[in-house]
Amino acid sequence: MLRAALTPICLLLLTASLHAELIWEKPFQSFHRLPSDGHLDAKFAFRNAGKTPVRVRKVQTSCGCTTASLVKDTYAPGESGEIAVKFTFGDRKGAHRKVITVTTDDKPEATELNLQVVIDEPLTVTPALVFWKTGDAVAAKSVQITAQPGQPVRVKSVTSSNPRIAAKLDTIKAGEQYAVAIVPVDTSKKEAAEITIETDFPADQPRSYTIHARIK
Amino acid sequence: MIARALRQLALLLALALPPAIVSGAIQFRWQKPETLPENEVTLAAAQSWGGQVVWVDARPQAKFEREHIPGAVLLNEDNWVRLVGPFLDVWEPGKNVVVYCDSASCDASHAVAKRIKEELQVDGPVWVLHGGWDAWLQRK
Repeated sequence: MLRAALTPICLLLLTASLHAELIWEKPFQSFHRLPSDGHLDAKFAFRNAGKTPVRVRKVQTSCGCTTASLVKDTYAPGESGEIAVKFTFGDRKGAHRKVITVTTDDKPEATELNLQVVIDEPLTVTPALVFWKTGDAVAAKSVQITAQPGQPVRVKSVTSSNPRIAAKLDTIKAGEQYAVAIVPVDTSKKEAAEITIETDFPADQPRSYTIHARIK
Repeated sequence: MIARALRQLALLLALALPPAIVSGAIQFRWQKPETLPENEVTLAAAQSWGGQVVWVDARPQAKFEREHIPGAVLLNEDNWVRLVGPFLDVWEPGKNVVVYCDSASCDASHAVAKRIKEELQVDGPVWVLHGGWDAWLQRK
């Protein structure tokens, strides 16, 4: 009776030990980058720890901004490989989580690889939009410009694309905190202006920021 | 004779009751209306707002150019800096902004909606279209 019950269990264990399996070195990876870096390259290394070959059937990414590539699709027992992932930032900032889904023929469920990237914006502009409704009182609106702690960013200039909507820079603490006062000549008609903030950071390719002003 | 018939009836009822309860519970669960996340809106609700909606397409530019919801404006994080000005040109204070991407599983619409709310601080509600572009394609 006992032997009859143990036989299938032993067979199952034997089958499992013979089964192929990809072991991932770091299935979760996290990075901090600057917007000026433009993109991030990451590698997800794996090894076939089983006793039969494994075929990678599909590699999918969760966003069009992320690509994943593999040199080949079949890996012999003991063989190592890696998935190269490229995340293109575009104009993204803040925390981003990208999932790479890998489907193999060694198990029914897919493996999820996680890429966590924080794109640290050195300067925040709040709010990035100021607006008035037509007929509103002509009152200045203030936008705060704040540098990340420990990373001084100097604002070199502030210019408006529309002479009827003026922008004035006020330095609260150089390299750390600024304010821009934006005021239209009048609000009698719909108008628009883009206010460009020029900075000195990063030194090799200084970034500029935009405040949008609208009379609606 | 009658007592025997009643016993058989009781037995039949006792046998039929458990599967009936299970079936009823499953039916109830299937028919329970889907609850939406707080910042999402169904296509039907957004369409009922008529002209009080600014549609925002958060998909890549190529997909937008192929097809999009009539009147939608392109705004994605690939080219936020270039696209945010044209979005603000069509945006009107107080109108509902409804952002969509490919499907319920994409996160681009949530990211764009968050930036519209937090970065631009627009006046008026900002929604994510439940089901995204797929919901638009499946409309009746």
